[in-house]
Amino acid sequence: MPKTISRRSFLVGCAGAIAALAGSRLTSLAFYDPSAEPAIPVPNAINSAERLIVVFLRGGWDALNVVPPIAGEDRGHYESARPRLKIPVSGAGAAINLNGQFGLHPAMAPLFPFYQAKKLALIHAVGLQYDTRSHFDAMQYIELGTPGLKTAGTGWITRHLQTASNLPGTLLFPALSAGGSQASSLLGYNDAVAMNNPNSFRLNGHWQYEDEQRAALRDLYTGDIWLQTAGTEALNMIDTIESTNPGNYIPANGAVYPNGSFGDNLKTIAQLIKMQIGLHVATVDLGGWDTHEQQGDGSTGYFATNLLTPLAQGLAAFYKDLDGGCGSNFIKRTTVIVMSEFGRRLKENANRGTDHGHGSVMLALGGTVKGGAVYGQWPGLNNANLYDGADLAITTDYRRILSEILTRRLGNFNLSAIFPGYTNYAPLDFLLNAYPDPTPIPPGLDKKTFLPAINAPGASDNLCP
Amino acid sequence: MQFQQTNLSLPALAVITINRAAYGPQPGVFDYATFNAMPGNSDAEKLAAFVDWQLYPEAIDDSPCNGRIAAAGLSTLNKSLPQLWADHHEAPNADRTLPVEDVRSAAFLRAIYSQRQLYEVMVNFWHNHFNIYAWDYAYASSTWVHYDRDVIRPNALGNFRTLLGAVAKSPAMLFYLDNYINQSGGPNENWAREVFELHTLGAENYLGVMHQGDVPGYPSSPVGYVDEDVYEATRCFTGWRVADGEWPLPANINNGEFYYYDQWHDRFQKTVLGSLIFANGAAMTDGEHVLDLLTNHQGTSRFIARKLCRRLIADNPPQNVVDAAAAEFYANRAAPDQLKRVIRVILLSPEFASTWGEKIKTPFEVAVGMLRGLNAEFNPVNEWWWNYDDMQQSLFERRPPDGYPDERAGWVNSTAFLSRWQMSLSITENWIDQCVTNPLGLTPGSLRTANAIVDFWIERLLGRPMFTPDQRKRIVDFMRGPYTASFELSPTYIADHIARMVALILMSPDFQLR
Repeated sequence: MPKTISRRSFLVGCAGAIAALAGSRLTSLAFYDPSAEPAIPVPNAINSAERLIVVFLRGGWDALNVVPPIAGEDRGHYESARPRLKIPVSGAGAAINLNGQFGLHPAMAPLFPFYQAKKLALIHAVGLQYDTRSHFDAMQYIELGTPGLKTAGTGWITRHLQTASNLPGTLLFPALSAGGSQASSLLGYNDAVAMNNPNSFRLNGHWQYEDEQRAALRDLYTGDIWLQTAGTEALNMIDTIESTNPGNYIPANGAVYPNGSFGDNLKTIAQLIKMQIGLHVATVDLGGWDTHEQQGDGSTGYFATNLLTPLAQGLAAFYKDLDGGCGSNFIKRTTVIVMSEFGRRLKENANRGTDHGHGSVMLALGGTVKGGAVYGQWPGLNNANLYDGADLAITTDYRRILSEILTRRLGNFNLSAIFPGYTNYAPLDFLLNAYPDPTPIPPGLDKKTFLPAINAPGASDNLCP
Repeated sequence: MQFQQTNLSLPALAVITINRAAYGPQPGVFDYATFNAMPGNSDAEKLAAFVDWQLYPEAIDDSPCNGRIAAAGLSTLNKSLPQLWADHHEAPNADRTLPVEDVRSAAFLRAIYSQRQLYEVMVNFWHNHFNIYAWDYAYASSTWVHYDRDVIRPNALGNFRTLLGAVAKSPAMLFYLDNYINQSGGPNENWAREVFELHTLGAENYLGVMHQGDVPGYPSSPVGYVDEDVYEATRCFTGWRVADGEWPLPANINNGEFYYYDQWHDRFQKTVLGSLIFANGAAMTDGEHVLDLLTNHQGTSRFIARKLCRRLIADNPPQNVVDAAAAEFYANRAAPDQLKRVIRVILLSPEFASTWGEKIKTPFEVAVGMLRGLNAEFNPVNEWWWNYDDMQQSLFERRPPDGYPDERAGWVNSTAFLSRWQMSLSITENWIDQCVTNPLGLTPGSLRTANAIVDFWIERLLGRPMFTPDQRKRIVDFMRGPYTASFELSPTYIADHIARMVALILMSPDFQLR
């Protein structure tokens, strides 16, 4: 018989890295090897770190039917532009009254309790202030963080990760694109992981040969060819996920994720957050918002049933899952942001749908949010106030929203590097501020070793487990 | 992802060609030797002969592949469009997805077994360029045989304008991008926008939201297009719909074919790309004129040329070859063999022969490449799709109209690696129903040492040395186990290890590149 190379023998190397990140937590898992040196305990920075979840709604969501005006002159403009698609203010399929001025689409009802509890904020008339109605251009500009420029080579999240001063020196798993393909916001970030579902994120070979094949595979992908760098990341990830036995995951607090890939992806993110292996930023997509025809109204139709319902149910389950069972702490350091490339035309088209528009609405959900309010400056729907005479105008640059997350939650003040050309940032004040003032790096420390004090609300709470 | 430039040594032209202008070698049938047997005294001459052979698929005997397709029992492939419509759209309890299932099976069988490899590569390219989510129950799935057989395939090596016109009038595209309901009383700009942005001029020639008159070069030769061009083009395409018997068409106009419904057409004058289209034009002339304007714009030549070069050469193709291909595309825009000429320019360019290692095979390409390399006995049944669809490039299943990415950033991530590695294991372990491989049976019995067996398979699958000696050594180490690399291994030992060793070559970085 050939000599068997234990899979453990090549796992030890990365087990050390994981243990160093997560304290001793993971040493009790599959990495345990009695013959290996005990893991070196390090300050447990991972579980006090902030997390950002970016939900991107692909296709341009119809913001004016998600958060329609329910009163005043704009209600009149809205109703006359959308005779068949309007969300009524009373009766079947009526909008949920948010603040007397705006309503919420009834299919978003699962999120309304979070609005009432001041954990959900809405930002209206927000978006990409660039003249395009192309999905693909708009998405690129938004995700690269460089309106009008497609050649940045890195996404805005990538530049955040590259310039953040408060991240531990080696994060095994800082960034995830849930859903199997990598978001453009993470372009140029070699350590990003794309994953569908941790339960199926494993490599299955013949039991007798698999360990040897995997050992060889790791050697074949050791090297500095671009493909090898990426392959090694994938192998590390496979080993990490397998070691945590994700099949046994039960969402906390009785949270039930909706069927479908969006719910699955959110569940994956929640699982990974709870594993505490250093997840810092995650992106997740929900597609299908390009509703040129038969989008439906408040009561029925594709928009309500196939798009808003899974969105609202998924986000509600995610919050609940992270809110419960573990000292309520995960959600306190998690900010979920929901965005789309643009909103849609004010006037409905002849096919009971809407064409590409401009201004949109963003959602912010989490323990970090000053919710229960609609933020932004409402430009109105009078024809003179519309963008290009047709669409909701944009009064808040989407980068302003992201900048507030970066500076108030993620502790990264390098906005000029993350959003080159974006100036005069001022917070909209929709988030609790964990960093009242920029924290300078003390003399003698470099940015990799310096971890500024976390002043986030809840910082002193017991963290899970 | 962004990666450093690598400097892998350039393989033989046969290797470059078989991996880029075909889906990799099918040993003994269509492989590196096929290239080397081409007439000519140099690689360049052999390449020219190979290209000229492959550019005329109708002259290439493909009976073995056709036999497999016939044996697979794909019952909808020979139905006419009205038959497809009647049987799979109109009939009570019709199986509406059977046509797309059949085309999907045929696409895999052809990619693996067809001798018309370059043709299959280009068919795949145009399907992706004119991407449609084909699994929609309404119009696309039931008519998918028509879209593949009558729209894409006859024109894949023909004339771009002809291809574009056929796409524009296909029920699948009319439905997918909503032009079937585009009418003067209620315009729907979905198709008009994407035909500019994705199919012809490309986003690189989109100037955004501005007035037509402000576009440089307007009106004689505007450099690009703006939203107002999209709106005007939308009006030009009003009334282009499907004979679907839906209101206000009479119920008997219902055979699934293209139908021009004049009452829905906006008959007044329009201005597109600086060209005034007079009011009250004859049936369909407005829309045809838009397609002409788009095809005759230099921006379209550049956009299509770059995309072809990206597929056939590298993610960021050198500008010289893009320019040459664009010039050929433009000069021959009325020629019936326009696309043949353009592809010839690209494949015979110095850039084609001098680039390697910067492009990764897509999931479809790598899966097909594995089955070809192992001379698999393959028939696509459900279990194949359950496995293949994990690779995230399900055929005709991309929902957005932009098609699957053809750049490494789209395919180099953890999930993509995991799925292609898993496919290597599943194929070599014969875990997939009706997908049978037998590396042992393909290995000459005279080869008994790890060195000899590994070198045989590296040559067979890669046609070149692995990119470092250490890579080869690691494969040999796996194959030899506790024995030396020159030890005569026992038949039992070889039988146990050979397929697992071959899996390693399929999983290696080398096999992913093209």
